[in-house]
Amino acid sequence: MADPITIENLGKTYPGGNQALRDVSLEVEPGTFLVLLGPSGSGKTTLLRCLAGIERVSSGRIAIGKRTVADGRIHVPPDQRDLSMVFQDYALWPHLSARDNVAFALRRRHLSRSECRTRAQEMLDRVGLAALASRYPNELSGGEQQRVALARALIADTGLILCDEPLSNLDADLRERMRVEISALVREAAATTVYITHDQAEAFALADQVGVLERGRLVQAGPPEEIYTRPATPFVARFTGLAGEFGVRVRERDGDGTVLVEPPHGHRFRARASAGPLAGPDALVMIRPTGVRLCADGSADVHLSGRVTDVAFRGRGYEHAIDIDGSTRLTGVFAEARTARGEMVGLRLDPAGCHLFPAGS
Amino acid sequence: MPLFWLLLACFILAPCACFLLLAVSPRLFGQGGQWFTLTYLHQALTGATAVAIVNSLWVSSAAAVMGVAIGFPIAWLVARTTLPGRRFLPGAMWLVLLLPSWLPALGWERIVQPDGVMYRLGLDWPWVTHAIMGPFGVVLLLGLRCVPFSYLAITAALAGLGQEFEDAARVHGASRVAALRLIIPILAPAIWSALAIGFAESISDFGVAATLAYNSNFSLATYQLYAAIGNFPPSFPLAAGMGWLLVAAVAIPLALQARALRGRSYAVLSGRTRLAVRRQLRGWSQAGATAGVGLFFVVALGVPGFGAVSASLLADYGGSFKLTLANYHALFAQTNLAAAAGGGLLSPIERSLGYGAVTATITVIGGFIAARMLARRRTRATGALDFLLLASVALPGVVFGAGYIFAYNLPIMSRLGINLYQTVTLLIIAYTAASLPTNARVLVGAVSQLQPSLKDAARAHGAGAVIAWARGVLPVVSRPIVMAWLFTFCGVFLELPLSQLLYAPGSPPTSIAIEDNLSNYHFGVGMAQAVLAVAICLTAVGVVLGGYRLLAPAGWRRIGSAIGGGRG
Repeated sequence: MADPITIENLGKTYPGGNQALRDVSLEVEPGTFLVLLGPSGSGKTTLLRCLAGIERVSSGRIAIGKRTVADGRIHVPPDQRDLSMVFQDYALWPHLSARDNVAFALRRRHLSRSECRTRAQEMLDRVGLAALASRYPNELSGGEQQRVALARALIADTGLILCDEPLSNLDADLRERMRVEISALVREAAATTVYITHDQAEAFALADQVGVLERGRLVQAGPPEEIYTRPATPFVARFTGLAGEFGVRVRERDGDGTVLVEPPHGHRFRARASAGPLAGPDALVMIRPTGVRLCADGSADVHLSGRVTDVAFRGRGYEHAIDIDGSTRLTGVFAEARTARGEMVGLRLDPAGCHLFPAGS
Repeated sequence: MPLFWLLLACFILAPCACFLLLAVSPRLFGQGGQWFTLTYLHQALTGATAVAIVNSLWVSSAAAVMGVAIGFPIAWLVARTTLPGRRFLPGAMWLVLLLPSWLPALGWERIVQPDGVMYRLGLDWPWVTHAIMGPFGVVLLLGLRCVPFSYLAITAALAGLGQEFEDAARVHGASRVAALRLIIPILAPAIWSALAIGFAESISDFGVAATLAYNSNFSLATYQLYAAIGNFPPSFPLAAGMGWLLVAAVAIPLALQARALRGRSYAVLSGRTRLAVRRQLRGWSQAGATAGVGLFFVVALGVPGFGAVSASLLADYGGSFKLTLANYHALFAQTNLAAAAGGGLLSPIERSLGYGAVTATITVIGGFIAARMLARRRTRATGALDFLLLASVALPGVVFGAGYIFAYNLPIMSRLGINLYQTVTLLIIAYTAASLPTNARVLVGAVSQLQPSLKDAARAHGAGAVIAWARGVLPVVSRPIVMAWLFTFCGVFLELPLSQLLYAPGSPPTSIAIEDNLSNYHFGVGMAQAVLAVAICLTAVGVVLGGYRLLAPAGWRRIGSAIGGGRG
């Protein structure tokens, strides 16, 4: 049975004064796959460890289901929170076989030894490792170890599964395959999942909900589409992928939420205004790679012109880096056809991919 | 390289092989009529020698267990708790390791002997004398010596045991105790290693066997082997038979440990291992842990140190506890006693300083060459070298010394014009041969970090061969080389078994001079010599490490501390 999670005004300060979490509040519906996204030092691992009970909270409250597991007075130890976890370096006990590693997580279910072994074998079968059940962790590849760790997290049917950057130690190809497997298996288990990563592509691919953390604060939470199309802050916009950013002058505000702006070297275009008010005539526009298209220089509806400084083949087409008036560079500008380095090109901007924030933010 | 192999064969392999072969084929060396016999092995397993072997076996087993029982909690407290003063403990452990076993044994003896410090202080406790001057005391001293080995082995394992293993157990339902039970087996290789090394060190120890155990009439195998050669008439074949038993006693646990762990890597280090959280010690737990660790150092260093220093400040005769500097005056003055000792009481110390410096320098050069060979691609030759060096590390010093006496006393040596027996040269060669295997093992870790690209990069960017070596190689190995030099210097300066068997007549090194003084009842002067020797040793360590800290470029020290951190 999946559990909802309630996090209220959570704070965590380590000895020495490092404030890792500040006033974090979040509601997670039962069965939701929540991805916490943020750079190193943003507090996502600390938040996960507070949820697990490995770290004590300094202030605020955490409830799993209807039970408060941490607040100023209460600290329920990890073994009594009925959750499971996939660790960044898997944390497989090196002296236990794959089967025994998985079976360990069933101890809390008070099953017989043979029942534990049978279930562990079945779970290893589900993750495709039935034949390797007797092997020790050092006899398994990185991907196989990762599956054992996943099997250990899934076997006890806990209502909450925590994943601490489980794909970060894998190479690109295996990472993508394991991402799909994790997504399928945890959804099949129907548990609430909290998964942390610093990779926005991984976050968007996996999540029902994304929470973005910056220096210990939760700066935005919502479905991945919302995070991408309506970033709440310049930090969220930057961290979730930009082609580039530059200053503009605000010319005209529309009722549909878009604003007409004028770049220093180019033609006026429309951008989507952020939630906060724009103070003064100057603003900062942040452009998603999907918000800019390449066209011939000198076309009628070109907003900006620039010179191609780099081009990279990406299989389905080409990504270009464009230098605009020597001071601004847009990267990841996609086109199916290749444009040679040094050529002048025109750029057309889509308001849905251009996000406007107050200047200096 | 052929010259290096020739030297290894002449100075490590041949003497020991000849000596051990003698036990089964005395006629091969003109020591009897049989080409093949098991008589001497059988003799070694009967009578007094059998008693000594049995004593050695049980005493060493108990000492190894004691070493782990004390070393494990100390390592745990240092690595995983906020124990006060934990930063100083590694240095103190090295001090326990650095001191040869005979020095603490003498310190304890001087306290509890009937005319010792304890009685002169008015403490009439014969039961303490009885306990220390017997099997209990032998186990205690050997066990204390095993503690640093356990501590180092378990500390290294704990350093790689990240917090995740415990966290993973906790989040998957294990209580604190169950999590501890789960992760302790991860340390099994370190525990087995500590037990095996502790056993091997104890059974091959000569320092306690020749001092405390001998003076307590408690016979141990290493001393019996020495006695078989030293008594009249000497019986080399019987000594060789005992040598076989000692080698087997050392090799079997080491082999069993290797076999038990074969194919089972417990490697737990990963680049992203999360540092373990230190448990906050408060109140009684802090007081108890501090008292326990303090007690260990008091027993291992404090009591023998007090025994040695106070005995060096007491007159040899009389029953009072009246302190005097007469023994130290005697050391620095030319007295009758000094003249009897052959040119002054300080001469042995000066001599050992020279022996230590020369041996350490030769050994570090040889050890570096051997380490480079071991660090290269594995071939049959490097495999053989690896085995030879490992076997030599495990070989008891007394067997090594006996092998030298026997091999360099053979008539063929005179015929070949090699007259090294009873010369300083042979003693230094033996010191070097005995230290080289350990040195090579210590240096191989640092040398394996040397990528050819380090030197190649310097050459490619215009440096000559010497500059390339100095800039690309030396910084990486400088600290381990300094540590290996110091380790050898101190080891040789206070070495006993080889010195006992091989010193040149009229030129006793420090340990022999101290032993001679003590056996002639010049306790005060002997202990003053011992105190001075330890002080010189510690000063040398301080001067060399301080000099390295002051003179070596900052970058060298950073690299060295990262790579040479293990045993170096």
